[in-house]
Amino acid sequence: MTQRYLILEDGSAYAGKAFGSLATTTGELVANSTMNGYQEIISNQIYHNQIIVFTQTSIGNTGLAQNAYESVLPSAKGVIVREYENLATDHFKRISLDRYLKRHKIPGIYDVDTRQIRRHLQQKGNMMASIVDVADEHAFDQLHATVLTNQQVAQVATPKPYPNPDEGANVIVVDFGLKSGILRELSKRDCNVTVVPWSATSEAILDLDPDGVVLSTGPGAPGNLPESVLQMIREVQTQVPLLGIGLGHELFAMANGAKVDQLRVEHHGSNHPIREIITNEIFFSGQEQGYAVDSKSIDHAKLFITHIDLVNGTVQGLRHRDYPAFSVQFSPDGAPGPKDSVGLFDDFTEFMARRRDNNDDEY
Amino acid sequence: MGKIILDKMAMQRALTRITYEIVEKNKGVEDLVLIGIKTRGIFLANRIADRLQQLENVTIPVGELDITNYRDDIEHDSLSTDVKMSNNKIDFSVEGKRVILVDDVLYTGRTVRAALSAVMDLGRPKSINLAVLVDRGHRELPIRADFVGKNIPSSQKEKIKVYVSEIDDKDAVELIK
Repeated sequence: MTQRYLILEDGSAYAGKAFGSLATTTGELVANSTMNGYQEIISNQIYHNQIIVFTQTSIGNTGLAQNAYESVLPSAKGVIVREYENLATDHFKRISLDRYLKRHKIPGIYDVDTRQIRRHLQQKGNMMASIVDVADEHAFDQLHATVLTNQQVAQVATPKPYPNPDEGANVIVVDFGLKSGILRELSKRDCNVTVVPWSATSEAILDLDPDGVVLSTGPGAPGNLPESVLQMIREVQTQVPLLGIGLGHELFAMANGAKVDQLRVEHHGSNHPIREIITNEIFFSGQEQGYAVDSKSIDHAKLFITHIDLVNGTVQGLRHRDYPAFSVQFSPDGAPGPKDSVGLFDDFTEFMARRRDNNDDEY
Repeated sequence: MGKIILDKMAMQRALTRITYEIVEKNKGVEDLVLIGIKTRGIFLANRIADRLQQLENVTIPVGELDITNYRDDIEHDSLSTDVKMSNNKIDFSVEGKRVILVDDVLYTGRTVRAALSAVMDLGRPKSINLAVLVDRGHRELPIRADFVGKNIPSSQKEKIKVYVSEIDDKDAVELIK
């Protein structure tokens, strides 16, 4: 097996063996502690320009399922695993992880102590890394010279609107690099979905006569998006029910005056308990988070804090006081991770139904 | 055996949605009082009060209303207001308050009509809103709910049964054919 290296911005290097593509790549290094669902993780666009380290010890032994991709064209920069296993017994298996990564030009390294890397990141904070053939001075120079784009959303979100027709409520999904799980849950609720580009104006959105609007997940910092996005949210939230998820949640918070900070270490996993404040209930959920809403910056005359993370205390959910507009940092669709909170999509469809009932009264 | 329309989780979510909507519509919780109608409406009103406590850290008064003596299918013209009110537990004044009436199922609207009369006999609230867990249609009076947990279109031959864990063995809403 070809030997390859994961080299880190701080000068450290990890040797391992190659699988997937043999490309040389650079990205932000993030560790994911989820036990299963590597397919959903790798194909999630939130990992655009990131190298994913799996702390789960064995990856690849379930093959890839047709119905579990979170995007068509994954844009992660690498996959680092402890043990790569191409011996799949799952009945869904048609395509191996190795073949998938080769197809999408994503390099992988196995036989690396991924839990050590996770600990390293925990101590040193977020950093960039490269997957290279030789860990020499030249490779480190290249790594240090690389500047990653801060326009991640424009790289992965759809440039044009497209429909996902059904017969239920008319939902506009604003695509910041959405994961398919969102569309899957809306489809299960018969929503007639139109996905529009992240740059869509409130006018363009409201002209589609929505019953509700979803702000999708996506990669990168919310602060990299222009003020016009926040303006769109401020206008839309007064008109129709609004649901923000992940990056969409961060943008919803900013549109209503809150600040969003980068986490020292990104949090990717499904192991943090989340408390719903209104019921005091605790549940788990898929979490992919590089940024968090600063709880001190929240204007309580405008927003409720609805959920908090019990491990790091971060704000996990918000709701507007005046409108049926709410958002969550975590992924209520699971994919991967627990679906304890999938009912948030039911709340959204109920808010849309209420709005339609109330409008009927006005005629 | 009925078909479960709302399970425990869905029921909790419905009450949570109603709570947020109450705050949204009333622009806060000032002057808010909850009045639960007879058996199950009282438990639902208490659950909404618990949520408001969690959310806003305020204790909203909850009253209990027995509308038996106000029903229009029982002859009781001779009853005085004092006697009619005997089974209520409302230890606050409704004068100038924003009253939220809470019931489990909205059907013909006759229960709500009776509840409105009963509340009016207690004083002059600033407003009265109606919150119901289930709206099953078939109104016989011009009454509608302001806050609905779930609309369940039903036929008049069917029965809707609401269970609450405080007095039943579970939380659920069932449709019985």
